[in-house]
Amino acid sequence: MKHLLPALFLCLLLPAGLFAQEDPWGEDDWDDEEQESRWSGFVEGGFGTRFSADPLIDNPHTLEEIRWRLESEWQPGRYTFGFKADAAYDGIEGQWTGEVRDLTLAFTAGASTDLKIGRQVQTWGTGDLVFLNDLFPKDFVSFFAGRDDEYLKAPGNAIRISKYAPAVNIDFSWTPVFEPDIYLTGERFSFFSPIAGGNVAPDPPLSAIEPEKSLSNGEFALRLFRNVEGREYALYAYNGFFKQPRALTEDLEPTFAAMTSLGASLRRPAGPGLLNSEVSYYASRDDRGGSDPLIPNDQFRFLAGYEWEARPNFTVGLQYYLEWTLDYDVLIDNSPFPQYEADEFRHLLTNRLTYRAGRDRYTWSLFTFYSPSDQDFYLRPIFTYRHSDQWSVYAGANLFGGNKPDTFFSQLQDASNAYLRVRYNY
Amino acid sequence: MRKFAIQSLILLSLSAVAAAEDLSDADEIVSRANLAAYYVGADGRSEVRMIISDAQGRQQRRQFTVLRRDVAEGGDQQFLVVFSQPSDVRGTAFLVDKHVDRDDDRWLYLPGLDLVKRISAGDKRTSFVGAHYFYEDVSGRRPSDDSHELIETTDAFYVLRHEPKDAATVEFASYTTWIDKLTFLPMKIEYRNSAGKEYRRVEVVEVQEFGGHPTVTTSRVMDLAGGGQTDMQFRYIQYDVGIPQDIFTERSLRTPPREWLERPAE
Repeated sequence: MKHLLPALFLCLLLPAGLFAQEDPWGEDDWDDEEQESRWSGFVEGGFGTRFSADPLIDNPHTLEEIRWRLESEWQPGRYTFGFKADAAYDGIEGQWTGEVRDLTLAFTAGASTDLKIGRQVQTWGTGDLVFLNDLFPKDFVSFFAGRDDEYLKAPGNAIRISKYAPAVNIDFSWTPVFEPDIYLTGERFSFFSPIAGGNVAPDPPLSAIEPEKSLSNGEFALRLFRNVEGREYALYAYNGFFKQPRALTEDLEPTFAAMTSLGASLRRPAGPGLLNSEVSYYASRDDRGGSDPLIPNDQFRFLAGYEWEARPNFTVGLQYYLEWTLDYDVLIDNSPFPQYEADEFRHLLTNRLTYRAGRDRYTWSLFTFYSPSDQDFYLRPIFTYRHSDQWSVYAGANLFGGNKPDTFFSQLQDASNAYLRVRYNY
Repeated sequence: MRKFAIQSLILLSLSAVAAAEDLSDADEIVSRANLAAYYVGADGRSEVRMIISDAQGRQQRRQFTVLRRDVAEGGDQQFLVVFSQPSDVRGTAFLVDKHVDRDDDRWLYLPGLDLVKRISAGDKRTSFVGAHYFYEDVSGRRPSDDSHELIETTDAFYVLRHEPKDAATVEFASYTTWIDKLTFLPMKIEYRNSAGKEYRRVEVVEVQEFGGHPTVTTSRVMDLAGGGQTDMQFRYIQYDVGIPQDIFTERSLRTPPREWLERPAE
């Protein structure tokens, strides 16, 4: 009889006990975050090849690499140290390369100010793969070669100060030494040269002359932003240089022209989707009148976009983008190559289609750039398969085409490629 | 945990006593269930982990911390979700301004790109980070989006049937909920398609009390059509901790608020 009561209790507990056995979680798993720091990252193999040969570049491949990512975070007291770096063997360049993408100290000063100091990736603005007021460095070579989207944003050495207040939030970023985009050099992809009148692939690869490392040649970027009832307003200012080597020195070597920009953006819900609009004015400080043929003119840029979920798991994004080159008549009158100057109005339409299936296990995505004024296009299909928390496979292509030899996407016709990447996350 | 299991058994047996005060207004039951499931306290925090199993039994895991603040009881709410696992989503953060009179505002932060991506409003009955749960299961579906009918009152449950007012925006034709008469927690939800066939089921597996509030600590959603399920567990739950409004802003996406994310001493 004295065993009856415990037996009754056991019966009551049985369902709970059974569940405990089914519980696929080890009880210790919750302790993960107790560790102050941990290492993670991935190992990725990538291979990409051209659809047709580029007569200027021997290598038919556009991506040949094994990449190892290591990252961690360490939080002593109120400070956060971040670290993220890649080591890769690049078969195209035939060498090991290393890149630190994040090496930062972050902390809060006062109640409403955050500082982040060191090498970091920064992004702002409302465009989808179109950038107006985001003048942080971008890596177009990685983008065109089919590396992960993450690599489109290149890191820079900067001090970022963010001040948050009810009236307006302020982001200020100072990059003491100018960080240009990773531009086309002729090593992996050839590019159009107006002097040659066709594509070139210089050897050694193109290396544009960068501004002198002085305090006044640093980059200053400012964003004021505020969210009012779901409508996100922002104002932007930038002082630095054009991020691409679009200017020439007096010795006709490529370099970066001084540039100051002002801009604004709005992002808000509208109907079933999201509307974004952004403008910017690029003032080419050394050629305000537009008469210097070696230096780009002022530009006005405009973007309007709309994104919505057209069907469950199927999202459509449309953008219209305009680059309006100012003082255009003066530019043409002074240009040694008027036939190769960009149009006064460069119109660009983009379309992003994304379909996710199997609870995001499979993602089909197609991003299309089409310029009716340049008569060129860039198609970017990507298929992603997430096999598990560890393994993912990415297959995609970068397809360029156009009618003229000198336009932005058309010059990359021989760079059209397909690639496959396999990643193991640890 | 076992002590709580016994307590809930006792509570269930007591529900017969409460039967005298049965509610009969479906809208009121739904309103109270909405408060019990999503509006406990003025704010709350919890750590959550999910095991996502597909039809072949392959498993993926997610772990994150949720902070919630009610702007108004039964009304607007704010959520911040910060992921810690697996490694490829660590640092990803999700911010929701939930509104009762218009579509929710939602942002996703992708740390690799330092990108604050806004998510369009329609996208809410799609998978939440690969799980069988939908975005809407996490932050709650507006009671006013459906019409409600009380179809049965048992000893322990109010059984209600719900139909969407706008059928084009959802994948279900109707769903049925079993709402606990004592706690008002929805203990089981069955979703049916236009053929009347059940294809999706959400079940509460375990309830515990925190600060006097009965709280779901284990739940499960099953895909009855395609196979597979997601198990979700909640731990380190606290209510009324005083999370300020300014935690639910873009700042917290880029710089997760450690003060509020750190695990409380138990």
